[in-house]
Amino acid sequence: MFSRYRLRKIAADLESQRAEQKARAKMAEYLPLVEAPEAVWAEIEAGLARRDRAPARRRIDLRWAWAGICAALLIGIFYWWRHGREWIETDSRSRVVVKVGAIGTVEVEPNTRVRVVADRASEHRFALAHGEIRASITAPPKLFFVDTAAGTAVDLGCEYSLSTDEDGSGVLRVTKGWVSFQWKGIESLVPAGASCRTRGRGGPGIPYFDDAPASFKRAAEALNIEAMLKDARSSDTLTLWHLLSRVDPANRARVFDRMADLTRVPAGVSRDLVLKLDPEALRRWKDELAWTW
Amino acid sequence: MLSTEIVEGCRAGDRDAFRALYDLYKDRVYSIAFYFLNGDPSAASDVTQQVFLKLITSIGQFRGEAEFSTWLYRLVVNACVDVARGRKFALTADRVQLEALAAAGSQEVDIARDQMARSVRAAVAALPSKFRVAVLLRYFEDLSYEEMATALGCSMGTVASRLSRGHRMLAERLKDLMAGKV
Repeated sequence: MFSRYRLRKIAADLESQRAEQKARAKMAEYLPLVEAPEAVWAEIEAGLARRDRAPARRRIDLRWAWAGICAALLIGIFYWWRHGREWIETDSRSRVVVKVGAIGTVEVEPNTRVRVVADRASEHRFALAHGEIRASITAPPKLFFVDTAAGTAVDLGCEYSLSTDEDGSGVLRVTKGWVSFQWKGIESLVPAGASCRTRGRGGPGIPYFDDAPASFKRAAEALNIEAMLKDARSSDTLTLWHLLSRVDPANRARVFDRMADLTRVPAGVSRDLVLKLDPEALRRWKDELAWTW
Repeated sequence: MLSTEIVEGCRAGDRDAFRALYDLYKDRVYSIAFYFLNGDPSAASDVTQQVFLKLITSIGQFRGEAEFSTWLYRLVVNACVDVARGRKFALTADRVQLEALAAAGSQEVDIARDQMARSVRAAVAALPSKFRVAVLLRYFEDLSYEEMATALGCSMGTVASRLSRGHRMLAERLKDLMAGKV
C-alpha cells in the first residue's frame, strides 16, 4: 500500500517536473531576452559620475558639520567630556553626512546626538540618543542597525528617517524598502510609505500607511481598536496584522474577522491558528499581504 | 559567469569592470523588468539603471556567485515593485504594451506563432504581481526555489505555492485567450 502510494507520488513528481520543463521551454520561446538599450549604460555612467563627485560635496558638508561640533565643544565642553569623544553632535545650524562603509550614508540632522557603535563589514551600528537621522542603505538586509531608547531599527534594504527624544519617543518613517523596529521580542515591520511611532520602554508602535485617513492614523497611535476596525482599508491590513499579536484574544478575533472581510485569507491560514498566534500562519499571511502593502 | 576579477575590479572602482558586470547581467535584468512592467521600455530602463547603480555601489559586500545572483534578483524584484507602485501600472492585458516587441519578432516567425507569443506575453502581464515575478524568475532565469525564496524574501513553500498558482492562472488565461474570450 505504502509503496504504491510512493510510486504514485514519484510519478506525480516526475510528471510535474516534466510539465515544468516543458513550460520553461515554451516560456523561453515566447519571452525572449530583450536587449537593454545602450542609453541605460549612459545613465548609469552619469549616476556613477555623480557619485564620484559626491565626496567633494561631503567634504564641504563635513567641514560645516565639524564647525558645528567645534562650536558645541566650546559651548559645552564639560558635557562633551562626560559623554565621550566618539559622539557626533549637531547644533541647530549644522548637519553631518556620515558614510556607512560601502553600503550607504546617514544624514545627521540639526540638534542630533549620535554615535557610531560598530563599523564592521558584517555590522554597522549607530546609537541615536536624540534628534533625527536619515539613512540611505543599499546592502543586504540586517547589516545596518540604529539603537534608540525605544529599541533598534534594523535595515532590510531601504531609505528611512528616524527621530527620537532621549526617552525613546519618536517616529520611524520609511521611504523605500523595509525597516524592522524591534524591542524585547516585539517587532514592527514598516514598509515604504508607512510610519511607526516609538515609545520609551514601550518599543515600537503599530505601523500605518502615511496615506491612511487621519482618523485611522490617530486610532493606530492611540490603539483605539474600535476606530481602527471601522476605518481600515485593504492596505491597512499592515496595521491590523500587527494588531493581531498585541491585543487580547477577544479583540484578536474581531481583528481577524475584519481582515478576512478586507482580504482573502490564504491557504494554510485559519481563524483558529491566528487566534492561537501560530507563528507559521501569521508569517504566511503576512507574506501574502505584503504584496498589497 | 561572474568572475572574481570583475568583482575585484568593481571594488577597486574600475570602469571596465563595471561595464563587464553590466554586460553580463543587463539583458536579463532588463528583460525581467520589461515583462514585469507590462512591456514598458522606459520603466524597464529605470529599473535596470537603479539596480546596477546599487550593485556597483555595494558590490564590495559580496563574495561568491550564488550570493551575488540572489542579491541581484532581490534588487530587481524590489525595484520592479517600487516602480510599479510609483507608476500605478494597471495590470490588465488590454493595456499591455508588448506590441512593438511582438512586431519586431514577427519578421522571422509565422503569423500563428507570433499570435501565440503575444498571447503568452499578455497572459504573463495580466498575472498579479506576486505570481508574475515568481513565474519570471523561475521560467526566465531558472533560479532554484531556494534562490527564489531569498530573492523574494519568503519561504520555499510560498515560492512553490506561488509558482503553482501562477502556472495555473497562466494556463487558464491562455485557454481564454486562445478561445478569444479576452
